[in-house]
Amino acid sequence: MADAVSTLLSFPPDDTSSLSTKKYDDLANKFLKSLEKQPNATWTRQIEKKNILELLDPATNTIPYLYALNAQVNLAPKASTTLDSHLPLAATFLTTFDPIQARYVGEEFRVLIAWVLECVPAAGVDYLTAATTGLLRLDPTAGTFTSMHLLILRTCLDQAVPSHALPILNKDIYAFPSEPTKNVPEDYPGEDTDLSNTFITTKSGFSHKLKPEYILEYYLLGARIYLGQRNYPRARLFLEYIILTPSSQHAASAMQSEAYAQWILVGLLDQGKRYPLPRTHDGAVMKSIRSVARPYEALADCFEQRDWRKLQAEMEAGMQTWHNDGNLRAVREVREALLRFRVQDLQKRYAALSIERVGLYLGFSSEQTLQMVGEMIRQKQLHASITPSPNDTAANAVLRFHFDITPAVQDDELEQQTKRIESLITSVRDADRRLQLTKEYVEFQKRQKRAGPDAADLADQMDLSYEAPMVAGRGMDGEGDFMEELEDGDEDIMAG
Amino acid sequence: MASNGIESPPKRVKHESSSTAGNFNLAPPTFDLDIWATHYEGALLPLRLSHVAIHCPTLARQAMTMAISTAKEGKDVRLYTRICELADQLGFSDIGTPDEEHIAKQEEGNRRQLSKLESELRGYKNNLIRESIRMGQEDMANHQLATGGPLPDPANPLSTNAAGYNAAYQAFGKMRDYCTTPTHMASMNLRLIYTAILQAVSMQQLGSSAGTNWNNVLSTSSRLRTSGVKEEEQIKLTPIATAMSGIAQLSQGNYRDAAAAFLATPKEYNTIGPVHGADFGRAVASANDIAIYGGLCSLATLSRQELIDLVLGGNFRAFLELEPHMRKAISLYTTAKYQACLDTLRRYYSDWSLDIFLGAQAMSARHGVSHVDLLFARIREKSITAYFSSFSQVSLSALATTFPPALSSSSSSSSSSAAAMMEEEVLRMIETKQLDARLDVVKGVLVAPRKEARSAAHEEAKRVAEEVERTLLLRLHRVNVSLAGLGVPKGKGGNWGGEVGNGVGGGWRDYGG
Repeated sequence: MADAVSTLLSFPPDDTSSLSTKKYDDLANKFLKSLEKQPNATWTRQIEKKNILELLDPATNTIPYLYALNAQVNLAPKASTTLDSHLPLAATFLTTFDPIQARYVGEEFRVLIAWVLECVPAAGVDYLTAATTGLLRLDPTAGTFTSMHLLILRTCLDQAVPSHALPILNKDIYAFPSEPTKNVPEDYPGEDTDLSNTFITTKSGFSHKLKPEYILEYYLLGARIYLGQRNYPRARLFLEYIILTPSSQHAASAMQSEAYAQWILVGLLDQGKRYPLPRTHDGAVMKSIRSVARPYEALADCFEQRDWRKLQAEMEAGMQTWHNDGNLRAVREVREALLRFRVQDLQKRYAALSIERVGLYLGFSSEQTLQMVGEMIRQKQLHASITPSPNDTAANAVLRFHFDITPAVQDDELEQQTKRIESLITSVRDADRRLQLTKEYVEFQKRQKRAGPDAADLADQMDLSYEAPMVAGRGMDGEGDFMEELEDGDEDIMAG
Repeated sequence: MASNGIESPPKRVKHESSSTAGNFNLAPPTFDLDIWATHYEGALLPLRLSHVAIHCPTLARQAMTMAISTAKEGKDVRLYTRICELADQLGFSDIGTPDEEHIAKQEEGNRRQLSKLESELRGYKNNLIRESIRMGQEDMANHQLATGGPLPDPANPLSTNAAGYNAAYQAFGKMRDYCTTPTHMASMNLRLIYTAILQAVSMQQLGSSAGTNWNNVLSTSSRLRTSGVKEEEQIKLTPIATAMSGIAQLSQGNYRDAAAAFLATPKEYNTIGPVHGADFGRAVASANDIAIYGGLCSLATLSRQELIDLVLGGNFRAFLELEPHMRKAISLYTTAKYQACLDTLRRYYSDWSLDIFLGAQAMSARHGVSHVDLLFARIREKSITAYFSSFSQVSLSALATTFPPALSSSSSSSSSSAAAMMEEEVLRMIETKQLDARLDVVKGVLVAPRKEARSAAHEEAKRVAEEVERTLLLRLHRVNVSLAGLGVPKGKGGNWGGEVGNGVGGGWRDYGG
């Protein structure tokens, strides 16, 4: 018995910091093998009248602690008993575990998170936070997509606490778990790295096998949350992720058309018009998507013409559609936004004008207009002020727009933006590297070589002619099939 | 759809009473009609005169009389009858009665001439002498042009394509196969240009679009510019080519291109005289006309510096000397005396509206708006923008005094005050982004928005950076999805991805546990 305990405690060695990564890796793997030999009973037995979990420290003995915790939860006769006894332990574990050790036991980790999330409806949303913390502790960037991401998101929405998903959502996904490339020496999971996709791979067990719909769903749910938070740029990004997801033979997904409909609405709410379609979209896919989203296009047409009455009519006509798509609330908001944009449009022409004229333009009485515009100013949607008229009639009150609309951008804001882009570049470089290791790329290079140096030069020229760096999308000009895509993948996506 | 038609006056006469057609009730021009008419000749002259008659009531009678006598001298019988009809409709029934005897005689003569030319041409063709055939074709085409071409066959709608001036145009085109030297080609091109202009003008007077004909003028003109003839001949051709392409651009509303073409016209245009038997200076546009066209187009489209360098300082000055008031208007504009400039221009509004090219209805514009109106409006807008650029705020009343609202728009809203009209105009300019300003309706002033370059630059940098970040993320996503093989898969039927199409929540908790 004591023998078993000493095995469990044999890792990590005391001098972890002095070990080389390779040595550490060897020891860890050996340790895992020895753990597998342990009978199941090891995990549940009482040792010296104590639960084995009390003997282990989650921060140092992360691996055996996780094994034991999972085994005890699994083997417990009734789910309700573990809820009280083990859930707090799990929460402590998730906030204190050693992230390096955890990299070796991905599957167990995933099972634990899933169990904690399952308990959330009964135990309360605090444990949701624990799960999120656990995920972020494992991978502070949360940048490699796993099924845990989606699971957390779903639980948040289930529990009607969408804001709890933000710590995860706010991180950008920069990789999906991929298979280790053949003939390339693998990185050790224990290696110190900024990129979590070195240890979160298809083999590490951190993620259930991913399907395309999981990714679309993650972004779609995420976009909904951002829409609710009125974080339009982020919602836009998520929706564009979905719309631009490559497909084989121009297949489109219903989720893409759903995203497109929302993307239109977000554009209207954010900028008063549809966003420009990203250049890298696939024409054939867009056609399929658009054909389904007709009512939304009609809505956007009215909006862009600032035609309030027509929009109202379109809204009534499409009530069933909005309702079925779950977009009714957003559409209502779009209607409110139209009035706001109509008043904001005035700002482009006028410095000051009477409420009466605003009312005439909007088609409301002066009193209504005064109230409406006042509300907009209070909500900071409008940078303006109202001067009451001397005789106190609504019609003669004056609406005066202020020109210094936006407070000057602070330097540090720009600096942060620069940092964000710089860190993004690291991820992009990594993606480039992975791209260069694919079979397709190698074959493409071979063909390129056979074609002679001139052909290669042509590709270079393309890069040179690249004009507007931030908008152009030549590198990944998506004409559909994603295998083809890989073949033109030699173009550095940082070319811009 | 006869090609030598004249705009149908009954409609116009009705319009004259209504307020929309300020254009049909022009004040008498500054020139003397008799002298003016001596500057022109050819088939365009009667058309010019009828244009004057329709648009200027005070000169109508005189113009009609002259038009009828000119038309009677020509061989074109249908032009003559139509002008008589027009006179009748304008209320001059005493002069509007056509001379039936003359018509019959002339028609008989035309027919005889035509059959003679046809048999001659057949003879030439049998002999297979290219030069003779070419000349035969040319005679034939000239005849078609002079007589106005055959009547369209009412039973066959396609026949209009080969009737009227179209017949002449096609006949000239047939010469091409028999031209042996560049000079021949040049001579043919000159005739094609002239015919196309005639076609275009008569189409315009009928109120239909003359776009194709103007395009013909443009393409033929450019061929004329690179005709490959000897240099001393080319010197005579280039002025015509540039001037005519300028007129075509002007008529199509491309004022900037028109200005460029007119400015490139060598001053020899004035002195070349007849080239290959065609005197464009008298038949189409005199050097004085070119000065006006070029001046107006430049004023409407070029910047102040360009006006100084290219118009006042360049070759074009030679033309401007012919029309001193045009030159004066341009110099007034360049010295920021906008009001005086606009006043000068307005004094000649009638003169220019009575010109057959400038006074024609602009293609894209509302009914009754001519090129002169459009050009004036542009010059006015440019002046207002230039005037405002040196102030941070200007009161509307001051603006209205400097730029009194245009005459043409006064008829539509005569009740509102000058300031109110100014407001409308300024708002329109702000909306079309010509004027960067905001209107303070309460104080009645136009305010220039303050700009802080520093914060604007920061704002822009932030926007660009965000855009870069977004684009990078989107592309990264694409690469990643492709790498992981997670793209939307091909579905079983149609374009929709198989199971992915089933929407959200295909199975909650179906994994992960």
